[in-house]
Amino acid sequence: MNLDWMVVWEHRDRFLEGAAMTIILTVATMALAIPGGLALAFLRMSRRRAVRAPATAFVEFFRATPLILQVYWVFYVLPATFGLRLSALETGLAALAMNVSSFNSETFRAGILSIRPGQRHAALALGMSGVQVMWYIVLPQAVARVLPALASTWVSLFKDTSLVSIITVMELSYVSLQIRSQTFRVLEVLTAMAALYWLMGYPQAKLVDWIHRRWKVAE
Amino acid sequence: MSFDLAPLIANWRFLASGLVTTLLVSALSILLGAAIGLLVGAGRTYGGRWLDRVLGFYVDTVRAVPVLVFLVWTYFAFPLFAGIRLTPTAAGVLALGFHLGAYVGEVIRAGLLSVRAGQMRAALALGMTRLQAIRTIILPQALIRMLPPIGSLTVIAIKDSAIASVIAVPELMRQSQTLVGTTFRPFEIYTMAMIVYFLILYPIARGTDRLYRRLQHLGAS
Repeated sequence: MNLDWMVVWEHRDRFLEGAAMTIILTVATMALAIPGGLALAFLRMSRRRAVRAPATAFVEFFRATPLILQVYWVFYVLPATFGLRLSALETGLAALAMNVSSFNSETFRAGILSIRPGQRHAALALGMSGVQVMWYIVLPQAVARVLPALASTWVSLFKDTSLVSIITVMELSYVSLQIRSQTFRVLEVLTAMAALYWLMGYPQAKLVDWIHRRWKVAE
Repeated sequence: MSFDLAPLIANWRFLASGLVTTLLVSALSILLGAAIGLLVGAGRTYGGRWLDRVLGFYVDTVRAVPVLVFLVWTYFAFPLFAGIRLTPTAAGVLALGFHLGAYVGEVIRAGLLSVRAGQMRAALALGMTRLQAIRTIILPQALIRMLPPIGSLTVIAIKDSAIASVIAVPELMRQSQTLVGTTFRPFEIYTMAMIVYFLILYPIARGTDRLYRRLQHLGAS
């Protein structure tokens, strides 16, 4: 078998553009999914059933179906039912953000519920309002506690951005598969794609381990 | 918008065969992942430092590279490199199992390490061999504690089997795409597939939670 690794070098610009898009997608999704997850967590903890039930249904539905199917579904259903015209990138971002928000909401909810009720009672006794208690007392502690879980979600998200390639978002997987079909250098191009993901993902995985060690909750 | 279930009803056998393949691919990849995971978990816990490093590299590599990349590489690139032929389903099971194995390995390692060291020492003091102690004392307690993460890994394995559609494994996702291509009813077909996945995955997630709550005391020490 003769290999021609020059193919990879010749297409370096496109590979790098794809890798940049992967990073942009990861950052943008997380930027949407942290407020999204917090909002869903608060809605799920609401005292009103009419608020709680739809939020719960949303979260459970997005957690118990494959992301790849969610991407297709958003791609076809949003334009058809709501007449919403979105670009491939916006569609992919919407699907990823809804998915990750659902996972984040469970993380935040667990963090908020893990703060002992005594803290809330003490703050209320000091005359703080419910919102103040949440903002100044509960949330800061809860966020520190769920940081390791959020970091793990981050790495999963980084990997999951590859799935929006099926709706032609030009991230690393899509670009690589495109170069493969143009050059027919299958082994070289696909190995380069895997290596690029590895180069970006491996340090992130190690960083997550460090965050887990650093912010581990001592029982 | 009109809603038409006729294409779904007319093609139910085609979709059902996809569901069977989904379950088959998931089951086989879980078996492969469990076998790899058991070896990796035990190897990292009891195998000494250099084995831990080598296996740790495998685990961190899998954590860094998307499933899609494993699937595409195993199906398109690996046969060129190894000089063999792989059907999409075989490549799918191999790639999914290889990916899952790293996560199972971490769960098993965490479970084994969560059983306090005193238990191993006590078992050894009673005259058990290391293997006996692991098999009869450590593993049973660890397995109970591993139940929640194993439940979520099962859910993840079934969800990830849908990604095998990109290498044309004829599972539910792929069959749905094919049917959308011929009937042009994406809304009905994808919604149906969504509901089917939910009906499989949600009971597994809730079921393992409930099972764990009932068995939890057996893993406490």
